[in-house]
Amino acid sequence: MTDTQTNQAAPPEAVDKSLWQDFRESDFFYAFKRSPVALVSFAVVCILVLSAVFAPLIAPTNPFDPASLNLMNGFTPPLEPNAFTGDAFLMGTDDQGRDVFSTILYGMRISLFVGASAVLFAMVLGITLGLVSGYFGGWTETIIMRVADVQLTFPSILVAMLIFGIAKGFTPVEYRDQMAIWVLILAIGLSDWVQFARVVRGATLVEKSKDYVAAARLIGRSPWAIMLKHILPNALSPVLVIATISLALAIIAEATLSFLGVGAPPTQPSLGTLIRIGQGFLFSGEWWILFFPACTLLALALSVNLLGDWLRDALNPRLR
Amino acid sequence: MKRTIFAFLASTVVALPVGAAEFTWAETTDPQTMDPHAVNSTPVLGFLNNVYEGLVRRGKDMSVEPALATDWEPIGDGEGWRFTLREGVTFHDGAEFNADDVIFSYERASDEGSDTRSWFAPISEVVKVDDYTVDFMTSAPNPIFPSSIANWMIMDSGWAEANNATLPDKENGNYATINANGTGAFKVTAREPGLRTELMPHDGWWGDVEHNITKATLTPIQNPATALAALLSGDVDFINPVPIQDVARLQSDPDVNVIQGIEARIIMLGFPHEADALKYSAETSDKNPFADVRVRQAVAHAVNVPAILQTTMRGNAEPASQLVSPAMNGYSEGLSERPAYDPEKAKALLAEAGYPDGFSFGLKCPNNRYLNDEAVCQAITGMLAQVGITATLDAMPVQNYWPELRADNYDMYLLGWSPGTFDAEHPIRFLAATPNEEKKLGSWNFGGFSNARVDELLPMIQSEIDADKRQAMLDETAKILQDEVAYVPLYVQPLVWGTRSNIELTQRPDNFFILRWVTVN
Repeated sequence: MTDTQTNQAAPPEAVDKSLWQDFRESDFFYAFKRSPVALVSFAVVCILVLSAVFAPLIAPTNPFDPASLNLMNGFTPPLEPNAFTGDAFLMGTDDQGRDVFSTILYGMRISLFVGASAVLFAMVLGITLGLVSGYFGGWTETIIMRVADVQLTFPSILVAMLIFGIAKGFTPVEYRDQMAIWVLILAIGLSDWVQFARVVRGATLVEKSKDYVAAARLIGRSPWAIMLKHILPNALSPVLVIATISLALAIIAEATLSFLGVGAPPTQPSLGTLIRIGQGFLFSGEWWILFFPACTLLALALSVNLLGDWLRDALNPRLR
Repeated sequence: MKRTIFAFLASTVVALPVGAAEFTWAETTDPQTMDPHAVNSTPVLGFLNNVYEGLVRRGKDMSVEPALATDWEPIGDGEGWRFTLREGVTFHDGAEFNADDVIFSYERASDEGSDTRSWFAPISEVVKVDDYTVDFMTSAPNPIFPSSIANWMIMDSGWAEANNATLPDKENGNYATINANGTGAFKVTAREPGLRTELMPHDGWWGDVEHNITKATLTPIQNPATALAALLSGDVDFINPVPIQDVARLQSDPDVNVIQGIEARIIMLGFPHEADALKYSAETSDKNPFADVRVRQAVAHAVNVPAILQTTMRGNAEPASQLVSPAMNGYSEGLSERPAYDPEKAKALLAEAGYPDGFSFGLKCPNNRYLNDEAVCQAITGMLAQVGITATLDAMPVQNYWPELRADNYDMYLLGWSPGTFDAEHPIRFLAATPNEEKKLGSWNFGGFSNARVDELLPMIQSEIDADKRQAMLDETAKILQDEVAYVPLYVQPLVWGTRSNIELTQRPDNFFILRWVTVN
């Protein structure tokens, strides 16, 4: 009785709470709490992302500063003091004397930044083209979707390599190292927009024939307002799922390109570059140069992927 | 049915000699051309030594021995050399070899567009005496001429003319870039640049056959770890080089042998002596700091060569102080000390030269030419950054690398030099003499280093017959090059080959892999 009264008497407090409260009481959060896969992978992603963001605070050395390296520290095994300098490293050092642990933290920043930016870029491009082709139809649709079909027939890593090669040719050498990251984002983003465009176009086709869209059109809203304010919100949950899964793929694509030697420069290694460097020392027994970056990449890509998988099930009303 | 029987009979009739075998090998770099006069580099000349032949050749111990010439003798009082040619030699296409081919190959190899041009700098005229005698007239006495042309290969004049390849074409290539027609023990039967080159024995070869190969295939594998995996799995019989970090592990493997030696090759840093400004500086730059000898000295003191040898080369290489290694003829014993690693001194020299805060520049580096080349450049980038000069490292495959250097697109570069003559005069002629098209000098002196005294000494060294006087002049030249820091010699590259244990072969210090010395057991 008293409780009800207090609640009624203090509406502002209820408003304050409502978003968080809503979320906590939602089916979504309930499903999240009940799924150990989601909880674990979310925790792993959080730990990795946070350690990448705060890398300069956590990492004992800055591996991107060539002046701080001591070549004599090269090939130090994990947790063993170096024979010449006496320095010890948690995960050992690579051929240039870089601390593998610090390099992983810094390399993960590149991997995550490139992956996230590429997905964001692909998402914006794909959503725009998907909305436009679904809403306007006709020639616009034919051209955009045929281009998408053609691009889908090529493996995305090939498309990314092609774009990377062309872009690199146009970059002056002195800026190549700085530009490499942006070129990577462009290359991976351009190779990945098709998924978004197809899903958004499908949703647009379904939604645009509905009465509320017709109503919006009748009151004279512009096509862009209808697309963004009315249609897009209804297509967002599949986009979110694709974005999460694409993030894992983009991280792997970046690692693949860097592994092939066409991605991040060796002086600023990403996880893929580190794996490429480490691969050269696999036969000679310096396993740690490959092992730790590879494990990190595996953990990162797997947990993002599992999270995306769970998200797809959770947001699909038919699976509930 | 009839056909099958016939094929069966045919295959038994041409039964292979006992122990005959196919042989496959992998190298990091594909020979970029099949033209023996277009590119003067070890991957090209080493490979083509199996296909083409010169008037003389080098034996297993590097001594000069007769090849297409059976005999040679000085003319008069050092006016030139007379070569007596071998009779009855045929090219792979069946054409007869004679003096016309020698004259033609001389003109072709000494043409302006040829990379082997400077080999003929001492020659004033070549005269055909008869079909099997040729005179090489020299402008001054030249005692080392016969040994200096061991890699000059003879091409058939008729074949070159018929296929429109009378001159080498470095940039665009021509018929001779992808086809070959020599007199050597092996002929090229298939060529896919960068993928696969197939060789078969030349049945009409004049020499005694030592090998037992029926077919040899070269597949370039750029990644050393992949090449090693191919060797361990038996996909290839021989790899060059073995990644230096894997030597210890391979030595304990009974299926493979590691053959180690010291190569004649010096790895060094080169500078743009003539440039007006840096090309790849992040600051706006209208100066070329490397034109100042103090900056070059600073670089020499900043690079920690012992650390590179200890870590990157795993103790398998020797430091270098000159443009030739101690094993070469004419090495200057008294100048074996290289600038000590001293970052403080390097900083002081930079400050003295007017760069107390350093500067930034671009370092060019190959990534598939020399052992651990990219790793070495990366290490050097770090060491130079420690004294305040920061390099943007640009590492690229060798087929893009040489054109970049020829177009002067560098602020500093990495170069390896192995003297084809095994003599200290060779790098002076190629790397230290002022570039001069007409005199065919300084053709690999990309930075345009120029010193009047060196230019004056070079012809005197070439014509001096007295060994002590010659050595004194070589010492003087080496001293000038050290004082001027024309280059920063870093180390002598180690030579590490790996074979399956059933292969017998001979390793020569010039890193040439000679197929006719291979036996497959």
